[in-house]
Amino acid sequence: MSNGRTLAPHRPELVTEGPTPSRPRWFEMVMSPDHKDVGRIYIGAALSFLVLGIITFLLIRLQLAVPENDLIEPVTFNRLLSVGSATLIVLFALPIAFGLYTYVIPLQIGARSLAFPRLASLSLWLYVFGGALLFASFAYTPAEAGFNSWPPLSDTIFIENNGVDVWIAAVGLTVLGLVLQSINLAVTISKLRAPGLAWRRLPAFTFSGAVSSWTMIFAGSAMLAALVMLEMERHFGGVFFDAGEGGAPIYYQHLSWIFFTGCYLVFLLPAIGAISEILPVFSGKPVLSRNALMTSIAAIMPLGLLAWMQNMMSASIPIGWLYGAMLMALLLAIPIGAIFVNWIGTIAGGVIRMRAPMVFALAAVSTLSFGLIGELIQTVIPVNWLLADTTASTAASGYVLVGGPVLGGLAALYYWFPKMTGRTMSEGLAKPSAALIVLGAQLTFIPLFLAGLEGQQVDIFKFFEASDAINAESLNAFNLIATIGAFVLALGVVLSIVNAYLGIKGGTRAGHDPWGGETLEWFATSPPPPHNFDVVPDVRSHEPLRDIREAVRRRETSRPAPAETKEPVA
Amino acid sequence: MNTLYWVMLVIGLVLLVAINLALIAMVMRFRSARGREPRRLVVRRPAQVGTAGVFALIVAFAFVFGVIETHNAKKVEASGPDGLQATSSLLAQRSLDLPATAPSSAPLKIKACGQQWIWRYEYPDGTYSYYELVVPVDTTVILNLCSTDVVHRWWVPGLSGKFDATPGESNSTWFKADETGTFDGASYAFSGASYAAMRTSVRVVDVPTYQAWLDQQAAGIQAAQTFVQQANGETGG
Repeated sequence: MSNGRTLAPHRPELVTEGPTPSRPRWFEMVMSPDHKDVGRIYIGAALSFLVLGIITFLLIRLQLAVPENDLIEPVTFNRLLSVGSATLIVLFALPIAFGLYTYVIPLQIGARSLAFPRLASLSLWLYVFGGALLFASFAYTPAEAGFNSWPPLSDTIFIENNGVDVWIAAVGLTVLGLVLQSINLAVTISKLRAPGLAWRRLPAFTFSGAVSSWTMIFAGSAMLAALVMLEMERHFGGVFFDAGEGGAPIYYQHLSWIFFTGCYLVFLLPAIGAISEILPVFSGKPVLSRNALMTSIAAIMPLGLLAWMQNMMSASIPIGWLYGAMLMALLLAIPIGAIFVNWIGTIAGGVIRMRAPMVFALAAVSTLSFGLIGELIQTVIPVNWLLADTTASTAASGYVLVGGPVLGGLAALYYWFPKMTGRTMSEGLAKPSAALIVLGAQLTFIPLFLAGLEGQQVDIFKFFEASDAINAESLNAFNLIATIGAFVLALGVVLSIVNAYLGIKGGTRAGHDPWGGETLEWFATSPPPPHNFDVVPDVRSHEPLRDIREAVRRRETSRPAPAETKEPVA
Repeated sequence: MNTLYWVMLVIGLVLLVAINLALIAMVMRFRSARGREPRRLVVRRPAQVGTAGVFALIVAFAFVFGVIETHNAKKVEASGPDGLQATSSLLAQRSLDLPATAPSSAPLKIKACGQQWIWRYEYPDGTYSYYELVVPVDTTVILNLCSTDVVHRWWVPGLSGKFDATPGESNSTWFKADETGTFDGASYAFSGASYAAMRTSVRVVDVPTYQAWLDQQAAGIQAAQTFVQQANGETGG
């Protein structure tokens, strides 16, 4: 000011820098129990495992590019399949979700840390160690018992080597870590919310985090139980799944499907939460119906988990139970349908800014619609008898994996990247990346769906020349196009990972609130200090930043006219 | 079964097109423009209930239709007039203890056992075959599924749905082929190294051909057993 008067800064944040670290930054980060460091390592590790998962997926697709291909040995193929599936589901899709939750949730609820900071570190390193263990098994003998290691195939009588043991340890450690972090997040959301931040005012992403955490507590515990029993049966004389000794293989199927159904929900929920944050911000208007959105997110967990037997329609289970599972899976269409209507209604009438997070969010909505409708079709028992275990079911799950953890996860990453790093990722790389992922997903999964209609099995190491009903002429073309599509999809993903790396190194500096967000994380500096906030504001609505901006504007408009024109200060 | 598949596919396609067209339309229509302010839509409770109601109707329809179709698919039909009849059934099923009052349209019960990596079919008279299942046309066939090692899943597209063959569990499916011909299928549960090669074939033939095949198969098995016994005797002697 020309008169030397110092006005209060217009920005509402009140924060200070943290203490100067005495050790190297990487060492501080690795040892840190700070949720932001834990979250960032979680996300970085998940993206690293995504790259490894994509490599295994591409090798699998190369083997299946042409009929009766001998590129990869059957046992090697089964090992890639076993490790690759665990990588994409357990080492990428779940950790990217919990990494984002770990970083964002304390900031969104106005907390200075997680409820149990050291537990977060423990969960992170259990996961990283589990993942490293799984890939270290390529140095000797990886698992080869398929994506969920069903007994009796995974028993020592059929697979003597220790690959399955490593798989059990790796998946077990990771799931244990995720369950511990779920407990941590559930307690954090329950106990550490800012004053006035009632449950009804929670941001959609945090609310989806609460639901995901409870989902993982139930589903992950079931898997841990199954893994312990399987290991006891393999080496310690336990009898749980061996039909010859009085056990039953179907017990493991139930437990593992409870887990994988939970995983499926955790593919969806964080993406739903992130998309529900991004669409309003980039449309300039709030969610169409917040009550409907939150109720729908809450309903997904019980309905989804109770539908686990939807994956077991061909098993010897009394038909009444299968009707129950079909009903639960069908009922999911109501909350998920309501969420889609909400999203479309949110952008309707808005002023849409097609920035990178919005592009990825819209791509995620479209891709998820393909996957979820593909699943809806297979929910009905007689249709399930036709399509389950064919590549048609793989295609539907693949769409959800790409739409949820990949596109939804990247949308969230593009959205919160400025908060995490203080920089933005390149828009120039983001849009081609989204386009390639969407195109690659369609090129991969439409042919796989059609190949499934022709009867192509999942998990086979080769398909045969066209000669009969299940190997129609068109299978050759479907598989070749799907392989090309997989490479396009992979290129799109790698482009975004490169973009993130370049963004950390030299992205454009972003302000503390580059998108005009409405939730509390944008109240902190970018990146936030170790304690997140100097002052935690009282929350009066579900849009606390809008309230603060309104308050600042009111204060400024009610301020007397500029002093220099009337009376000088001092 | 196929009717329901097409109904669900049409419902799915309508929803898919509606969601994606709406997304594209909204993005085209509401791209940011200078000077325009966002217009907030107000959704009243009847609209919310109505939206949920539409999805609930789809769910109710799919569930009821699904239950009816499942019930129909589970209901075993009687064999047709061109199928294997009770009298010939008795001839064919040499060791089967059929009740005297067996209906003429009694189904043919065959045991289908999965083992790494082949299907073994055991007919009522004790005859068996590997890989290929031979059945008479217009005859209801009940397959009792079993496994001697790991979990397998039997499916021949065009004849039946998929059903698991799990060690220690009993499971069954049924089918009735209206025309002669060959139907190819496979196992659909991952079962280890040669899973991809675990295929199967169902050859549907007329009744006389079926009975001739059974006799020929039984004779072949008998000859093989005799040969093995002789070979063992020679080795043992």
